[in-house]
Amino acid sequence: MAKQILRIENLRKKYGDTEVLKGVSLTVEEGEVVVIIGPSGTGKSTLLRCINHLTTADSGDIYLENQKIERGKTDLNKVRQQIGMVFQDFNLFNHLTAIQNVSIGLVKVKKMDKKKAMEKAYKELARVGLEDKINHYPAELSGGQKQRVAIARALAMDPKIMLFDEPTSALDPELIGEVLAVMKDLAMAGMTMIVVSHELGFARDAADRIVFLENGVVSEIGTPEKIFYNPEKQRTKEFISKITQLHTSGNNQESAGL
Amino acid sequence: MGINEHTWKVISAIPYLLKGVGMTLKITFLALIFGAFFGLLLALARVYGGSISRRFAIVYSRIIRSLPLLVILFMLYYLASEILDLSPFLAVVLALAVHTSAYQSEIFRGSIQSISKGQMEAALALGMSKFQCVLYIILPQALRRALPYWSNEAAIVLKDSALAYVLGIAELMRRGEYVVARSSQSALLTYLIIGIIYFILTSVLTRSLLYAEKKLRIPC
Repeated sequence: MAKQILRIENLRKKYGDTEVLKGVSLTVEEGEVVVIIGPSGTGKSTLLRCINHLTTADSGDIYLENQKIERGKTDLNKVRQQIGMVFQDFNLFNHLTAIQNVSIGLVKVKKMDKKKAMEKAYKELARVGLEDKINHYPAELSGGQKQRVAIARALAMDPKIMLFDEPTSALDPELIGEVLAVMKDLAMAGMTMIVVSHELGFARDAADRIVFLENGVVSEIGTPEKIFYNPEKQRTKEFISKITQLHTSGNNQESAGL
Repeated sequence: MGINEHTWKVISAIPYLLKGVGMTLKITFLALIFGAFFGLLLALARVYGGSISRRFAIVYSRIIRSLPLLVILFMLYYLASEILDLSPFLAVVLALAVHTSAYQSEIFRGSIQSISKGQMEAALALGMSKFQCVLYIILPQALRRALPYWSNEAAIVLKDSALAYVLGIAELMRRGEYVVARSSQSALLTYLIIGIIYFILTSVLTRSLLYAEKKLRIPC
């Protein structure tokens, strides 16, 4: 059995009176790609944000390589270094060029020598096909390029796992492909990934398992084949067909709020 | 109108007036530096501080901004003369610094809060400590955004430094007063000259800051 990278046990999170996560458990093995789908507001992003403690869960446990992450006891900065995160709206550092965006974590967090950091940053940018944009500021890049820089920035830290929070939702339809291609390469290369996304094509091609999250619980979990063609639950089936329709009847991702 | 004796007195006093410029600049510069330092600390306390430091920053800013600068100046001066042995020069610098720090804290607070939350989150996600996030990610952006407003505040402090004359410091305004006293009929001319000098100083200051602003601008 492959090595366990991440284990989430019975995670709960309330915002005010609304319980967003109602006891979510999930285990991710090394090299595994898990895609999380589900209707808006079911806690997909919250789940990701709880993993690296950008949001604090109310209860439940998270283990990174069998090491329990406890707020107050664990050094969260150390933990976060090992978890790459890619955001929906990129969150590139606006005052830094692409290569500085990628190298700053290496220099400031990993205390890497500046020259070495730049070399590594260049390599990561080349990996996402942006070696000719290294000196561009975020404002000078397209959405797809920004998101690829963001991916390179996370990768540069050599994370044990990458979290993608709707990485293509803020992109114009014609730019989605380039980001998904990078993510697919990454999946092929054996990176452990959790991806919140409704890009079913990506899910079909790259996911080892798909998690259908609804109303704060894991409603169904299984291989793409199972979830797409033979789901246990009627709701899963309905949701998949709804998404498929939206995607095939013009590029409506944004208006559908996915 | 020929140049009469009084006019000549004023004109020949220009070098004397210009010597006050150094003092004016010294007061302005020090007040701005201290004011920026405390203003930034207050802004950071306000945005990132615990409830006590946050409340302190709010109350401080509210009180100071509701007091006339002259009142702060006299309070500091008399307080200082009773308790500490503060020179008039330091009293003026301190009063201006206290006064401007409240305004600057509002400028910095606004610019810090204008940086999107995602910037901090992305930095935290990389493993930076909150301190590193603020230092390397938030402040470089926030201070750039603050610069136009800060430059306005700097011009105000430069002009407010004229109040130092009430404590008898020989800066530009005070020297003007002396010149007026010696050439009683040429007050208007004297103040005109002083006005022109302030205008030049303010222009140079705001122009240099505008230049800095352009140099530091990031594409957006």
